[in-house]
Amino acid sequence: MPAKNKAGISKAKEAEAKQQEAAPQPQTVRELEWQRYRSTNPLRKIVEEQGFAKLSPADKRTYLNLELVRTPGQVDKLSKKGQRELWKHLSDANIPLRGTPRPRDDQWGHDKNGRDIGDYTLEEYSAYEQKKSRISELHLESTFFKVNRERADSKTRNEATGEIYTITEDDIAAEKARRQEMASLRNELYGVKTSSYARDPAWDDVVPIPQEEPEGALSAIAYADDYAEAMSYLRAVMAVKEYTPRCLQLTEAIIDMNPAHYTVWLYRFDIVKALNISVPAELEWLNEVSFEHLKNYQIWHHRQQLVDLYYPTIQADAEAVEAFALEEHNFLMQMFSKDTKNYHVWCYRQYLVRKLDLWGSDPEANCVDAMIEQDLRNNSAWSHRFFIVFNNPTLTTPNSLATEHDPLVPEFVIRREIEYAQEKIILAPQNQSSWNYLRGVLIKGDVPLATVFNFVNRFVKNLGEGDGDEEVLSSYALDLLADIYNEAGEKEKADLCLRRLGEKWDRIREGYWTYRRQMLGK
Amino acid sequence: MTTSAAAESLDPPLDAARHIRYWQRCFHSVLPHHYTSNDSIRLTLGFFIISALDLLTPSSPTPLVPPEDRTRLRDWVLRLQHPHGGFCGSPHHVLPHALTTKFDPDTKTYVARDPSNANIAATGFALLCLGVLAEGEGSDTFRGVDRVRTLTWLKKLQREDGSFGEVLTDDGRISGGRDMRYCYIAAIIRWALGGAEGDRSLDFNVDALVAHIRRAQTYDGGMSESSMHESHSGYAYCAVAALALLDSADPDPQAIPNRYIHAGIPSIPSLIHFLVNRQFVYVGSDDDNDDDNDASNHPLPDMSPLSMSDAAIQMTGFNGRLNKLPDTCYTWWNSGALSLLGESNLINREPARRFILEKTQHRIGGFAKHPGGPPDVYHAYMGLAALATMAGAEGEPGLRLFDPRLCVSADAAARMAKAREAMLRPAENTDDSNSDGDD
Repeated sequence: MPAKNKAGISKAKEAEAKQQEAAPQPQTVRELEWQRYRSTNPLRKIVEEQGFAKLSPADKRTYLNLELVRTPGQVDKLSKKGQRELWKHLSDANIPLRGTPRPRDDQWGHDKNGRDIGDYTLEEYSAYEQKKSRISELHLESTFFKVNRERADSKTRNEATGEIYTITEDDIAAEKARRQEMASLRNELYGVKTSSYARDPAWDDVVPIPQEEPEGALSAIAYADDYAEAMSYLRAVMAVKEYTPRCLQLTEAIIDMNPAHYTVWLYRFDIVKALNISVPAELEWLNEVSFEHLKNYQIWHHRQQLVDLYYPTIQADAEAVEAFALEEHNFLMQMFSKDTKNYHVWCYRQYLVRKLDLWGSDPEANCVDAMIEQDLRNNSAWSHRFFIVFNNPTLTTPNSLATEHDPLVPEFVIRREIEYAQEKIILAPQNQSSWNYLRGVLIKGDVPLATVFNFVNRFVKNLGEGDGDEEVLSSYALDLLADIYNEAGEKEKADLCLRRLGEKWDRIREGYWTYRRQMLGK
Repeated sequence: MTTSAAAESLDPPLDAARHIRYWQRCFHSVLPHHYTSNDSIRLTLGFFIISALDLLTPSSPTPLVPPEDRTRLRDWVLRLQHPHGGFCGSPHHVLPHALTTKFDPDTKTYVARDPSNANIAATGFALLCLGVLAEGEGSDTFRGVDRVRTLTWLKKLQREDGSFGEVLTDDGRISGGRDMRYCYIAAIIRWALGGAEGDRSLDFNVDALVAHIRRAQTYDGGMSESSMHESHSGYAYCAVAALALLDSADPDPQAIPNRYIHAGIPSIPSLIHFLVNRQFVYVGSDDDNDDDNDASNHPLPDMSPLSMSDAAIQMTGFNGRLNKLPDTCYTWWNSGALSLLGESNLINREPARRFILEKTQHRIGGFAKHPGGPPDVYHAYMGLAALATMAGAEGEPGLRLFDPRLCVSADAAARMAKAREAMLRPAENTDDSNSDGDD
């Protein structure tokens, strides 16, 4: 049995201690922790590495006594004498009673990049701890801010100074900076993003309402940044019908990301009304949005609502109305410069003509003329022309269908439009827009198709006289010719036109021309 | 799966496997962030996805939407139902229950607190989704749908001039324009939920709707968004389909067939003339730039009819308005409308198929809007719809038979019809909780 020396440490342990002094400095947090563990639990180290049997009998006793002391409640079970003996023995053994716990592999966790924090160097870990404590510090300051703000809101008096608590702009700015710092620290440490709304003390009183979605929902979308957060705040303020500037800004943010959101526009309109925002100012903003989102329909509906709201305030002032009409016109032309056939813009234009009574307006008529001149094939422009000519309340029957004769339309109008259409047809005979327009005018005026027979015939020569001689400058002319002959009762000639269309001049529609020939018989 | 001699000669054939892969990706993965601007219509996107998989069923040995998925998705759709009638377009439009209801002291009833979240388009697509997801012959399709509340809400969306709006505002006004699409959706909802049944107290004003549609025919025979606007195939389809559904749901057994189609279109021959003229020879080059808005507005004039060439016509695209470039979806809108008018044979089918299969069908599956463009969920569905419709009663090999009134498979339509019957005869059901409004 080895001699017990005063320190009660066996040779094995001595050797161990020497080994430790020679051991390299810990590089990582994990290594440091292990080093601490071993130095404060020298006996355990031996037990773990070599087994209990390898301890000297004295050390075995010490080890077991230590375990006893470290297990809560066990010492009290001993008799008083036993406890005295226990403590005397341990005191003589001169060994630390407390040790650091055994490190676990996973006790530090992983950082946002998946790296084990236990592998951090001592400097890295120190920096990490500093950031964590900085977050706590900031959080505490933020809490003080909130408490003070509540006191200011409820006009609580500071008992010490007798003054009512106030929050200054500087306080708010400091809080914003604080939250900004917390957000970036949290992002650095945990990869957590804090939404701009959570960072803004101005939104603290709103409890956001995020959408509820089960796993594996249909057509889930990987939203753009901030959209989900912004939506959760929007839902909260819409639910309580808050009409304030901060909500106006929020609608703008949502509209930018999802202009097709079908309730945010209604909400924005309510805010505009509640805050008495000038319609021209709102229109200026809307113009920008319109350029951004050319195919959006809600934008034009919103515009219409704004004009409906605004018009009664300028109705009595003819000059103001004219000025407004001009501004709208200029904006519409800017929209058309991006897309001459934008359906929503043309629909809105019709609305404007009705609303501001632009039927006889020269700028309106000249503009449509110019657009047709610029592009004879712009069917939207032709359609608009038909609208302003044949829906003009001073010259036409209200509610007359586009497809029916209107006896109220003056003859000079019909004649003018026929000439106009014919002029444009000559410029581009294979443009169906102008041929359709011509037909539409003839029906409106109840003008027999035969009236334009000579004109139409210009485009068709030697029909049915063989491929070499037959000349057709416009398939639409041939189509109309068939109708002219049919109207006049000349079924055979009508049939010839339709047959030649199917055989040669418009073979795509072979089936249709056959169908038309069948209809002739009826 | 249908086979016939005609199927052998189809050139090129539909590569269904490619499309199945595309749609399964859409089904299983999250849509990319570009779709954020579609967040409010997720129900519509979802409809395209599951209905496309439904259409492609004959091309797959195993169900493309397995039964456990169907249950989960049915629940997802039903969660979008607004407690006071109608459906919301997406989960972002569904508020916690307490915020959807308030007590109205005037009428002493509970009413919607957020009425504008219930959306007409969402409601139509929700019912179609349920039809696609239904099991068996479909009696249970609309279980969980509040028929009375939905039809009551729908009535409130109709204006005096017969048109329908999109949503109700908080103060009960109708919002949303006089769009032909809403007319179509209203007709779908009425057909699906049996608005015309019984004492018709839940029915909206059909004659007013027909009058509104009637006013939309333009001087060139097409139909516009609403009265006096430019003719447009999309709106033409919506008008014809709405009328066709009014006819389908006509409770009067003595009625003349197609009476609503005739009542709603002043001149059917003019409309046919407009529709058939939307097809034209495709002469584009390989460097079509479909991102250039302006280019899509100034196509070359269609001089092909005047050419001396006798060569067979290879490819034809369709546009929706005169003098615009071809777009995949218009192959569907135009052929769908003609089919409902009983004149689908007036389309030149082979070149029309060839255009979308060779020019807008994408390598990764789906269809794009323009040749060379990327596929998107909307055009990918319309491409399949076009192929199925143009094939008529024979069917397009690889796809289910199609119902052009509802733009879904004939199977789904049949299940919806069964469901309507089941809803209207509660005595035959074991625990029907649908047909009255008490809670």
